[in-house]
Amino acid sequence: MSEHAQSGDPNGTLPRHYLKPCLLLLLAEGPSHGYELLEQVRRMGIKGAEPGGLYRYLRAMEKEEMVSSWWEPSQAGPARRTYVLTEHGRGGLHDSVQSLRDVREILVSLLDRFDTLPTRAASGSRP
Amino acid sequence: MTSSAPKSDALRALYWRSEILRVVYWLYGEGLSDVVDVGLIRRYLGVDAHEDLATFLDHLVDEGSLVRDGDWYALSARGRAKGEVELATAFSDLVHPVLGEGNEECWCHMSAAEAEACADPRARRPPAQSAPATRAHETVSDDASGKAHR
Repeated sequence: MSEHAQSGDPNGTLPRHYLKPCLLLLLAEGPSHGYELLEQVRRMGIKGAEPGGLYRYLRAMEKEEMVSSWWEPSQAGPARRTYVLTEHGRGGLHDSVQSLRDVREILVSLLDRFDTLPTRAASGSRP
Repeated sequence: MTSSAPKSDALRALYWRSEILRVVYWLYGEGLSDVVDVGLIRRYLGVDAHEDLATFLDHLVDEGSLVRDGDWYALSARGRAKGEVELATAFSDLVHPVLGEGNEECWCHMSAAEAEACADPRARRPPAQSAPATRAHETVSDDASGKAHR
């Protein structure tokens, strides 16, 4: 399975590993559970995010000690897994954000050059 | 994730019991699904096709943690009642990746059976193909990072 498909972005329009900074950012905002994380990353543009990919990503980040988690018993329902960001994860988030800033500069440069092109009507008027 | 599993039968059974229960509880707790089949467990855990997960699922049925309906498995009432908190502590020391000999987290430090299983492939390796002692475990360590399975 491709990285884009695993990230829930079948069109490949988002940066590779985009799910990772999304999850780190969400957990930097506060502890969360799997279902909330799934809903939030879908709102952040990963429309096709699926639970299996999220589960594997969270497990991988836990092995990398970027995230820690535990089962939280509930009076009203089943136990849920609560995820929190570690200090190592906070560092990973800063690294990821810096990479995204670098990508943004490249994209802005491309878009600026595009904007200097003649308009389609003007180019169509050439002989 | 298959490469993270221990090699000896006894610890493998415990390892997969914990991994499977963890997924089933996760899905149930998040309200995403009450039932699983082998294919779903395989996808969630990123498990190679050769790993016989059906056997480990059936072990969980035998012990009363899961109930089976055809190809589908669900948490039993007993499994729901007992497992959700117990899971967090009972296997926390057993569920960790194989990182290789020389590393303090290697399974072979945890069990005599695992140490034997860990040493067996090296003992059978022909001398002409022998690599430095750390070589085989370096490969295992790379696999255990999970990078190859994403």
